[in-house]
Amino acid sequence: MVLEVKQPRPMWEILFSTHHTDIGLLYVYLSVTALIIGGALAMAIRVELFVPGPGTLIPDSNTFHRIFTVHGTNMLFLWLIPFASGIGNYLIPIMVRYKDMAWPKLNAVAFWMIPVGAALVWLGFADTTWNAYPPYSIIRAPGPAAEMWIFGLKILGISSVLGAINFVVTILKMKHPDLPLMKTSLFVWSTLVTSIMIIVAIPTFAAALIMLYTDRLGVSGFFNPAMGGDPIAYQHLFWFTFHPEVYIFLIPAVGMLYEIIPKFSRKPIFSYQSGVAAFVLLALVGFASWAHHMYSTGMSFTEKTVFMVGTLAAVPASAMHVFNWIATMWGGRIKFAAPMSWGVGGIVLFFYAGAGGIVNTAMPLDFLTHDSYWVVGHFHLFVAGMVTMAFIGFIHYMFPFITGRMYNERAAMVSFWLFFAGLSIVFLTQHILGLYGQPRRVYDYVPVQPLIIMNQIASVGGWMAGVGAAVFIYNMITSAFKGKPAKMNDPFAIGEQYYDYARREPHH
Amino acid sequence: MVPHSAIILFLIPVVAVFLLGVDSAFAQQSTHNYIIHRIEIWALFYRLMVVAFVIGAVVMGSIAYVVWRFRESHPKNRGDITPARAGGAQH
Repeated sequence: MVLEVKQPRPMWEILFSTHHTDIGLLYVYLSVTALIIGGALAMAIRVELFVPGPGTLIPDSNTFHRIFTVHGTNMLFLWLIPFASGIGNYLIPIMVRYKDMAWPKLNAVAFWMIPVGAALVWLGFADTTWNAYPPYSIIRAPGPAAEMWIFGLKILGISSVLGAINFVVTILKMKHPDLPLMKTSLFVWSTLVTSIMIIVAIPTFAAALIMLYTDRLGVSGFFNPAMGGDPIAYQHLFWFTFHPEVYIFLIPAVGMLYEIIPKFSRKPIFSYQSGVAAFVLLALVGFASWAHHMYSTGMSFTEKTVFMVGTLAAVPASAMHVFNWIATMWGGRIKFAAPMSWGVGGIVLFFYAGAGGIVNTAMPLDFLTHDSYWVVGHFHLFVAGMVTMAFIGFIHYMFPFITGRMYNERAAMVSFWLFFAGLSIVFLTQHILGLYGQPRRVYDYVPVQPLIIMNQIASVGGWMAGVGAAVFIYNMITSAFKGKPAKMNDPFAIGEQYYDYARREPHH
Repeated sequence: MVPHSAIILFLIPVVAVFLLGVDSAFAQQSTHNYIIHRIEIWALFYRLMVVAFVIGAVVMGSIAYVVWRFRESHPKNRGDITPARAGGAQH
């Protein structure tokens, strides 16, 4: 089997390559595979919740917990982060005009750690939830699944940090001397900011994972109340990493939209400087808002106010991006090919998610929505709505560069509308479900009519999105082998120079 | 030198958010018992939702207008001339 089209090469040559586009290809393949299997788990969850009562598809609550734990872990750490790394691998050396990443072998090592971490997560199939909150995760969660989850996350974290160091050094030290940082693409800025955030955020969780593991072994009691430990301390360590991590998911998607929107609007970016400023602001406030996930843990009014204001500070930065995109499109001549359609759909869902997020942020209101389906809807509008739609849009944009062929535009638009409509239905309905009081992470729910109807609407929406994703995958696979050869100078006929195709040829 | 466009893009959401944020930050202090507390929180929720829907309608309306008016296939947009092509640097 060959993966290349213009210059076919055997698969083993790509697997053992250290060239940045080969590593990028491996990242993209792995992450899209994770999207498919994580999506299949989501479909199973929606089948189970279609009617109240146990056993619709999933036999017991423990299996249900395992499924949504692996769904969450898989989507966040095996789809979103590796995909952003894959596109970064493809484009960062090209955009900073360097021959490769700064350390190509380290780059390959960082990638090959991911399948190992993924295997641990998948084979363990833990039931801790992706938060792994103690005391459950240290006292009751069955082993060795929980241990495998801990080690899997540990390996994935190290991989992320190695990749991030490589990106930072490539951008800051290997950039062409004639290319000022303020003249690089906003995608370069997004990767730089994300990488710095990873380097700052991940070590805290890495420490928490070790503490969690030693607590499980019984040799320490950091988070075990029976040994004088404090489970809330774990939540602080966890969210100090994982609130910034939300922006680590988001910012690469924003950077990709800054590539797509000006090109398909046939206009320069409205304000490059505000895009850079908003990236930096988002990175800063991302570290000033972690405890808004913990309002119900008994924090003081003053603490909650500080974190509420810190969280609200993210809204102007996010809104700056949205206004920047609208202003860029204004007055342009927009070609709604698949990348642009997926991108604009992502912006719409980003706005929905942000509006719901303000309710979570306001601490009195957070008590209404905390741990309810509102939070599920809100979070998924971000990661499945905004980030995944932007990523899929960018896969379409990169498709000619990756394969040398064009995808089927009609199938791409069908998949877009199914996915966009399905996501809107499932996740907006889940907001209302939350207001009706349905807790998140439940295997069963009270069999009353409003909950049944809304769960069924949500399930139908979820399946619609699933069908859309299936059409997208089918389109990508068939087009990779049978698509029309792309005109590599300007495959989308938008009058813009496309990425330099010759850069895909390995030179070492 | 930060351009005016960047300052304006920053100030609009800052003002909008902090007008909302200050109000909701002190909602808890004015409650005296559980019942009033619940009522005030729901009242705040509905007020915030009204504001969110108004802002949402404006932003979504803007996106819908931009998508409709500046699409390639719009009758006024079918020529080869791209309106803003001449100005600004392409990053």
